[in-house]
Amino acid sequence: MIDTKTNITQTIIDSLSTSGNKVSFMPDASVLDAVRFLEEKGIPNAKHEEYKYCNLEAVFRRDFKSISNQFSSQLGVAGHKLAGCINLVLVNGTYHAELSDKAEGITVSTLHEADKAILAKHLSRYADVNADAFVAMNTAFCSSGLFIHIRGVAEKPIHILNVISANGISLVNPRQLIIAEKNAEATLIESFISEGDAPAVFHNHLTEIFVDENAKIKSYRLQQEGSKVTQVNTTEAIVKRYGNYTTNTFTFGGSLVRNNLHVVLADDHGEAHLNGLFVTGGSQLVDNHTLVDHQKPNCESNELYKGIAKDKSTGIFNGKIFVRKDAQKTNAYQSSKNILLSDDATINTKPQLEIYADDVKCSHGTSTGKVDENALFYLKARGIGDASARRLLLQAFAQELIEKVEVEVLQERILYLFEKAL
Amino acid sequence: MANEILEEHIQSEYKWGFSTNIEADEAPKGLNEDIIRFISKKKNEPEWLLEYRLKAYRNWLNMVEPSWAHVTYKKPDFQDIIYYSAPKQKPEIKSLDEVDPELLKTFEKLGISLEEQKRLTGVQSNIAVDAVFDSISVKTTFRETLAEKGIIFCSFSEAVQEHPELIKKYMGMVVPHTDNFYAALNAAVFSDGSFCYIPKGVRCPMELSTYFRINASGTGQFERTLIVADEDSYVSYLEGCTAPQRDENQLHAAVVEIVAHKNAEVKYSTVQNWYPGDKDGKGGIYNFVTKRGICLEDNAKISWTQVETGSAVTWKYPSVILKGDNTVGEFYSVAVTNNHQQADTGTKMIHIGKNTRSTIISKGISAGVSNNSYRGLVQIRKGAANARNFSQCDSLLMGDTCGAHTFPYIEIKDKSAVVEHEATTSKIGEDQLFYCKQRGIDTEKAIGLIVNGYCKEVLNKLPMEFAVEAQKLLAISLEGSVG
Repeated sequence: MIDTKTNITQTIIDSLSTSGNKVSFMPDASVLDAVRFLEEKGIPNAKHEEYKYCNLEAVFRRDFKSISNQFSSQLGVAGHKLAGCINLVLVNGTYHAELSDKAEGITVSTLHEADKAILAKHLSRYADVNADAFVAMNTAFCSSGLFIHIRGVAEKPIHILNVISANGISLVNPRQLIIAEKNAEATLIESFISEGDAPAVFHNHLTEIFVDENAKIKSYRLQQEGSKVTQVNTTEAIVKRYGNYTTNTFTFGGSLVRNNLHVVLADDHGEAHLNGLFVTGGSQLVDNHTLVDHQKPNCESNELYKGIAKDKSTGIFNGKIFVRKDAQKTNAYQSSKNILLSDDATINTKPQLEIYADDVKCSHGTSTGKVDENALFYLKARGIGDASARRLLLQAFAQELIEKVEVEVLQERILYLFEKAL
Repeated sequence: MANEILEEHIQSEYKWGFSTNIEADEAPKGLNEDIIRFISKKKNEPEWLLEYRLKAYRNWLNMVEPSWAHVTYKKPDFQDIIYYSAPKQKPEIKSLDEVDPELLKTFEKLGISLEEQKRLTGVQSNIAVDAVFDSISVKTTFRETLAEKGIIFCSFSEAVQEHPELIKKYMGMVVPHTDNFYAALNAAVFSDGSFCYIPKGVRCPMELSTYFRINASGTGQFERTLIVADEDSYVSYLEGCTAPQRDENQLHAAVVEIVAHKNAEVKYSTVQNWYPGDKDGKGGIYNFVTKRGICLEDNAKISWTQVETGSAVTWKYPSVILKGDNTVGEFYSVAVTNNHQQADTGTKMIHIGKNTRSTIISKGISAGVSNNSYRGLVQIRKGAANARNFSQCDSLLMGDTCGAHTFPYIEIKDKSAVVEHEATTSKIGEDQLFYCKQRGIDTEKAIGLIVNGYCKEVLNKLPMEFAVEAQKLLAISLEGSVG
């Protein structure tokens, strides 16, 4: 799709490959492929079908420096920790044991220290460097990462607190590998915050999750970074037989947030649930890009994304259900609902079905509109003012998703952030 | 059982594949400015039209063939195409007797002969046929009846000669020559087509119809249709086609433009049944068409209905630009693909005016090893207050080797817009089939019944004459696809 490599890409490659550390945990072949892919394809612009509404090339018209190893030591992370959870603190992608809670019942380490055999088996196996520029960029230039290994049932939710702390134009490429062994169960919370007064930060986050047979992972993603942070958050999840992967993404912050969420149902009877809620204001852009790849029979996937766009902001939903030839008896459902609160706001949706098996039940629905006038009238007739009535209706709109949060402290925080965003 | 029926169908030859021997007046193969001058000269065109063609051609040279559609095919060699061929013409044709008997036979074989049509609908037929044989219009019937009302319905070339002011004003208004690769190619080399003008306040008393045929071997067909409905007018326009069997791929890049003025309504129906290629995917027509209408002023309405069963590769998005306030756009489509056919079809609804409404109903059916995609755009521009859209895209899969896809694009920039889209993909329900079989309806007929029911919403929108043909086509296209 992209015809020529841009100068911008070359600049990034040049500046990073000389200054960046040699990444010891990443397989050499992957790094080579990644650099080659970046050199050939460059950073996608609006001409790229998958980035049609989300022009990231424009973001790169600045001189980014890799900062994963530098940060100021005075961090106010305490207030962002969640009570009752295992809080793991990552600063610019680097895991800091001294700031984190003791990991009980699970194995947590940096990728440098992780078991080499497990890395060889899983790392860079699911995120295809030849498929996407940001996967390639992360693979080529990540210098720090987190490894979580879950066996059995993790009692406490695991809270990964990603802090971006920067004072100059910065590029961060953190990497995470999460392995849930057979029959494992865990709740994962990833939250994203930023500190410092950097004029621009590009946070290129990549997570690979392996959900083995009968394992169950419930994950939450809370994005509340500052208004100068651009985040591309790629998640590649593999779900094996009878595995269950649930993810809920809540986006309130960031100047441009692009979530690439790919779930592969790689064996029969796998299950995936993808949910998301965003509220955008100002000139924010939030782009939720999901792909559910049904590879084997009898799997099920469900998707529900809702968005509220205010001011001059843009909300995008692009979801694809991909059903392969072997994936008979697939049940897949996808729904995207959006509300526009301003004439300057934009909602673009592209729900897609690509289906190669016949014995399937697949459907999608999307709707975009305004606050229901009838409902508004009903409330006003009962003496509720216009502003409160609208607020109430928007809360009701979001309730369906906020309700899905099973961790109480997190639900409270999300509710608070949602109210604030309105 | 299923396999036997499937085999039988796959073995069955394209019923309407034949070729007629009419001496063609051809241009040499290839494309350059001289060929364009040759075409223009052959058609005795005014200078400005030649300039238009040349401009389009020069522009086309800088364009790249689009590759975003969900189809794969061997790109045509544009230098290996004959861009102009006309059947040997007789100077004056006043009655059917004077028409080349070979040509009449061709139409008879197609089951759409002028005579049969006359017989079907009584002596005074209600359907005016502007028969396009290869690239130039051979005979236009009913012109006199239409002329009484002030309706102009003639071939594009004639319109260029007789109504140059209208052509100059409207041609390229909706689909400019810079629009896309194939529209540019068409603008440069278009051979002929139809022109229709409905004057103010006139309700066209009959369905206007054109049959497109691709005949001479290796001839690309570049039709151009222009329909202009002036204020308070109404017209229902039909287009249908079948093509002879050919082994090499033939390119068809047509352009259809519709302009609807204030309070005007245009209904455009298509049944497309070009040669889809044989069971191995050999041959077949490449159908890369640009169809677009504009509701230029308030309260105008444009409605597209299409039944697509033919062509090896289809790439077609009949669209409506809703510019005036209170305008309405509609798109009803049934697309059937079998064997190695590939279709990437859908629509674009561009809402610009206030209180604009659009409806999209698309039914895709895939069988064999075919791929059938719906691709549509609903765009609500800023200021298009109270715009409303409803889209429904259903896909039916027959067999586990085919694909059905939905790629809707929805772009909304106005907060008062209400846009809904839903899509489903499924196969024919076992219980539906069981129900029918239990009542003594065999599998074959039951499928026909269920498919016809599935497409009913769209077929209902077709004019009577077409609905019958369309149902027949559906049955033929899907004969024995599933057991």
